[in-house]
Amino acid sequence: MNTLLILLQDMGLAAVPAVGFAMIFNVPRGALKYCAVGGALGHALRLSLHKFGELPIEWATLIAASVVSMLGIYWAKHWRAHPKVFTVAAMIPMIPGVYAFTALLAVIEIDRKGFTEELLKTALNNGLKAVFIVGALAFGLALPGLLFYRRKPVV
Amino acid sequence: MPEREQREITRVCAQTCRMLMQHGAESALAESVGRRLGVALGMTDAEIALMANGITVTTSCGGRADTIVQRIQDRGLNMHVVTEVQRAMLLAEARQLDLAGVARRLDEIQPLRYNRWLVSLMIGLSCACFARLALISKGFDADLTTPLLTFVASAVAMHVRQWLAHFHFNPLVNFAAAAFVATSIAAQGMIYGLVDNPKFAMSACVLLFVPGFPLINSVSDMVKGYINTGVSRGVMAVLLLLASCSGILLAMTVWNVWTWL
Repeated sequence: MNTLLILLQDMGLAAVPAVGFAMIFNVPRGALKYCAVGGALGHALRLSLHKFGELPIEWATLIAASVVSMLGIYWAKHWRAHPKVFTVAAMIPMIPGVYAFTALLAVIEIDRKGFTEELLKTALNNGLKAVFIVGALAFGLALPGLLFYRRKPVV
Repeated sequence: MPEREQREITRVCAQTCRMLMQHGAESALAESVGRRLGVALGMTDAEIALMANGITVTTSCGGRADTIVQRIQDRGLNMHVVTEVQRAMLLAEARQLDLAGVARRLDEIQPLRYNRWLVSLMIGLSCACFARLALISKGFDADLTTPLLTFVASAVAMHVRQWLAHFHFNPLVNFAAAAFVATSIAAQGMIYGLVDNPKFAMSACVLLFVPGFPLINSVSDMVKGYINTGVSRGVMAVLLLLASCSGILLAMTVWNVWTWL
């Protein structure tokens, strides 16, 4: 498959979870489309930076999150709502859910079966990935506020 | 300004902060909205202290201060309420709403809830997309049955989760029970060999239990200096993850299907 098709498919597959989880967060109807666009762009941007740009996943996540956050600020002014209303749902496809669960299940296994180096390795590797990716997501979302909106509110 | 009016302004400020915190807004937003509303309604100053399950608001005007403490009960994430509360504040700042108008507008907010069946359907589709993304990244491009199984497992689990939430079960109990249901359904794919890559279905069908919003809120609270609310939100998120893990583990024990590790 060529690169463009891979990216388009990725955007489509990321837009659905962004909208789905936006509905759990009860994002107003009119804002759902922004969540879809943000989710698609963020995930595809991370994929291209990580896979084609060979950046580590944490840095790719940070850049993707801050780009979506800037878009979110633009939409927020237009829609008179806090940017997080759109951007957090857009981050959901990038949340390291599988890493987090694997790490916690490995910790529980250490308790159940006793310590092995293999389990500890799984727990630490996955747990640290999860922590740093969530940190990158949240920090990326906060970045425009920390850089450009230091003294004044966005809306 | 008469004392009674100041008291009412303090109460309205506390109510905005409380509503924002209850519906999952980040601490920086709750504080700034409360403070701006107080000033917009004619106070010299409105100071707000946020705690994990309570807020303190003090307004001052002409050398007189008034303080209110309110309890915060979690009402579940609702961005619609957050948007509406913030718009009430913006209208007050633009002098389009007075004190009585703001109070009325806040009381009239009806939290938006999407149709339960629609949410279950969308979450099923979301987890199916997660499964498909994982399959594609590992090179199993042709497998379409695994996302289908994931869809069924997570749509049913989401419905169970909403149904239990309706009876006001503790979220921890709720997540554990619903994660048990999701993993049990996905495990059937492993037992009967229904799909090509049941491992992916097992891991993708529980992704609806990842508390993404509290996790992100927790980090951004801490980044912005609200360490105590950030820590308590983070601990709650990890507890929810652990509760889901216990449900997964129970299901894997019952069906004797060990795929995660």
